[in-house]
Amino acid sequence: MSARNFRVAGQRLPRMDGIGKVTGKHVYAADFTLAGMLFGKILRSTRAHALIRRLDTSRAAAMPGVRAVITAADIPAVRFGQAVRDTTVFALDRVLFMGHPIAAVAAVSLEIAVQALAAIDVDYEDLPAVFDMEAALKSAVLVHPEWATYKALPIIARSGNISGRARIKAGDVEAAFAGAHRVYEHRFTTALQHPGYTEPRAAVADWDANGNVTVWTGTQLPFDTQNTLAEILDLPSSRVRVIVPGIGGGFGGKLRIGVEHFAALLARKTARPVRVITTSEEELTHSYPRQATVVTLKTGVDRDGHLLARQGRIVLDCGAYAGSGPATAAIALQVLAGPYKTAALALESFAVYTNKGTSGSFRGPAGPMANFAVESQMDMIAADLGLDPLEIRLRNIVHEGDRGPSGEVLRAVSIEECLRRAAAAIGWDDRKPAPGRGKGIACGWWMTTGGSSGVYVKINPDGSATLVSGAVEIGTGAITGASQILAEELSLDLADISVTGVDTQAAPYDYGAQGSRTAFSVGNACLAAAADLRRQMFAIAAAQLDAPVEAMVLRDKHVVAGDKSISIAEVARISRLSGGGLIAHGTAISPSPAYDPGRLENHPLPAWNTPSFHAHAVDLSVDPDTGTVDIHRYVVAQDVGFAINPTYIEGQIEGGVAQGIGQALSEEIVYQDGKVMNANLTDYKMPTALDVPDIESILVECASVAGPYGAKGVGEPPCIEPPAAIANAIAAATGFWLPSLPMTAEKIARELRARRK
Amino acid sequence: MSRRILNVVINGERHELLIEPHWTLLQVLRGQIGMMGTKENCLEAECGVCTVLLEGKAVNSCILLAGQVEGRAITTIEGLGDPEHLHPLQAAFIEHGAVQCGYCIPGMILSAKSFLDENPGRQPTRQEIREALAGTLCRCTGYGKIVDAVAAAAQRMAGKEPTP
Ligand code: FES
Ligand code: FES
Repeated sequence: MSARNFRVAGQRLPRMDGIGKVTGKHVYAADFTLAGMLFGKILRSTRAHALIRRLDTSRAAAMPGVRAVITAADIPAVRFGQAVRDTTVFALDRVLFMGHPIAAVAAVSLEIAVQALAAIDVDYEDLPAVFDMEAALKSAVLVHPEWATYKALPIIARSGNISGRARIKAGDVEAAFAGAHRVYEHRFTTALQHPGYTEPRAAVADWDANGNVTVWTGTQLPFDTQNTLAEILDLPSSRVRVIVPGIGGGFGGKLRIGVEHFAALLARKTARPVRVITTSEEELTHSYPRQATVVTLKTGVDRDGHLLARQGRIVLDCGAYAGSGPATAAIALQVLAGPYKTAALALESFAVYTNKGTSGSFRGPAGPMANFAVESQMDMIAADLGLDPLEIRLRNIVHEGDRGPSGEVLRAVSIEECLRRAAAAIGWDDRKPAPGRGKGIACGWWMTTGGSSGVYVKINPDGSATLVSGAVEIGTGAITGASQILAEELSLDLADISVTGVDTQAAPYDYGAQGSRTAFSVGNACLAAAADLRRQMFAIAAAQLDAPVEAMVLRDKHVVAGDKSISIAEVARISRLSGGGLIAHGTAISPSPAYDPGRLENHPLPAWNTPSFHAHAVDLSVDPDTGTVDIHRYVVAQDVGFAINPTYIEGQIEGGVAQGIGQALSEEIVYQDGKVMNANLTDYKMPTALDVPDIESILVECASVAGPYGAKGVGEPPCIEPPAAIANAIAAATGFWLPSLPMTAEKIARELRARRK
Repeated sequence: MSRRILNVVINGERHELLIEPHWTLLQVLRGQIGMMGTKENCLEAECGVCTVLLEGKAVNSCILLAGQVEGRAITTIEGLGDPEHLHPLQAAFIEHGAVQCGYCIPGMILSAKSFLDENPGRQPTRQEIREALAGTLCRCTGYGKIVDAVAAAAQRMAGKEPTP
């Protein structure tokens, strides 16, 4: 099928859940209530690292309206976690960070629950703490003295405060440095960034008479949440049912268990439904923000700016528990290589424990941090060699058939087109149009995460189709996109497709709303289901039309064979009478490409599936006195393979860039001595409508082999390049690079003043 | 705690409610009446998802004590239009791809309505629209398509473009 003939796929159709969302009828997890529901609250540590000498809940438990108080002593002793099983529901005898859960209360009102927290007595004995991630690498203070006893994925290499170390190696870095024209060394730091979803994390749990629990929650990964809950509750997973009503954003911050376990444990104790929802303060002190990192880069080049060797190290601060840190740190290694040919690589990642809140996998985990370092340094090298920043990139980028950092062969490579189109659109020829004004460019690559998807598709007797999927529509429009593919394949209109809610009990497995994969993988599963449904329908039609199956096609909601046809609705009705109805199970899995295992050590995500390529260009001014950055234009050229619905792809690009602008210029969860200093949305500064310019999107379509109609992953990449593109534009405007995110007006103004002296 | 009676008109309907004096309008809407279209997040007037119209003007219902709306008229997103009869703002948000997760959208649409109603018949600039919406956070969209939608709705509401 060629893109030109598509009726539904590739069209700018309105999203399926739009009307519910603009009329207030769409139900989110935070809106979900049950009759007789209790309200849960969490008591959190006020110390960064301390022994719990005494924990007395008796006063709280005796308060009128309080129905339960639970602590570690009341629940199964379980450690859970993704890469490392290091996490407990409550602090055991020791709190590991400020905000660490110690106890939970269920009461008849939220007010009473809050009052009850204040009536729980805790005596602490402070312990030495470690807050600095680089200090933690060698510190005698161990966040987890018992780390060696924890279970972990076999691939993960750990020791002491290091919860994961990974490496990519190729060629001989030392020899290449020795022969290089110049060698550059730089150090970059990036800050903790909150995902900033507007709906707090919320869950309601209820147990039935047979000892099964149902949890309604705004999770990105219902099946992962189901499994984790089963572990925590010490139940077979079939007795845990997770339903996702609607979700008000996630961006990676709602991947792992958040408040579901508290709701489920309190509901079990009280035999009543319990709801738990986070406050903004809890969000900013104990959620899953983007990890802070320190990146050091040493790069050797020849006289013409060709990259010869790169040594890179990223240290990533996991906080008190590993969370997704070990994998995130390892992913950074591919980003440190960049979409560039470099013969010699020695890249190393460390995920480390500190006495701070646990971090997580915010959109494009590790992408912006590593890209900020690589792409800032590319410009620094270009400046030193007197090369144009676009030119040095064009000299080094990968092309079709080149090898990636893991030795994999790269296909559908489009980085050159992305760079050239972004540069042309921003007017690259005039890179410093006025004093204090400059343009910057940055490029990168990113994976489309694999993982399997299953769908059931049912054809109804009115000729419509129902899509049953365990994939969460997180807001991207991915389910609308997958439905467009399904409609296309069945010769239906998008309006003929309906989607059921996500329910782990009823839906086939899906790897979840993560890694730019939902439209890609669910779309592929829809292709498979549609192929099966065509076979089923053609078999029925063959008898009705007295025509061979080989001659049949679907066209305009009919099975057509030459001049004979029968409607899909009629086929569905016949199937109901004779064969139990039309239903298909479509599945999809994207295997990762072949790679060279000799290049990798302890890397949980060794080679990227269906990489995408992208370039960002920005035109901005810097106020010479205040350091305030004013962005005039922002252009993104992103290879999406095939634009399933251009409107929502632009939406992904615009939203991702806005988050990237926040990370670049203003967002930082500020810790001081283990305490978050800005735990509210006034002091934690996310971009408003006044801070984000109109963003111009160029959709490059270099078809992939593995994606539906050639699509590639779209959702994460747009937030990867903004910090670097903006840093490079600031440098064009001012003459200096700030190697530390966020590049606040204060930091810029300080540097401007220092340079005037 | 001493409860009291609150009389309030919500989306044209009279309500007589028993409330506690410290309850906010948001608590009453969501907790008492069960109207969940008005969203909750920061509860500190920092994000705007709880925006409703009080006598036509946008307010953060999370910091407004319910007692302060005694005898007054409130419009929530449920009162703006229904699926068969969308308000031009609601229709424009869908047409222009301004909706992603949707959690900010009720507050965004009501802030926009308050702003457009203050400036009837005049086409606002994109910058003016941005200023009017700056109190409502959206983490999904980057705001561009929201500004497109409000600009299009303004045109339609001013009668310069027929409602489809
Ligand atoms: S919930 Fe009212 S402004 Fe955030
Ligand atoms: S659409 Fe998700 S916060 Fe605005």
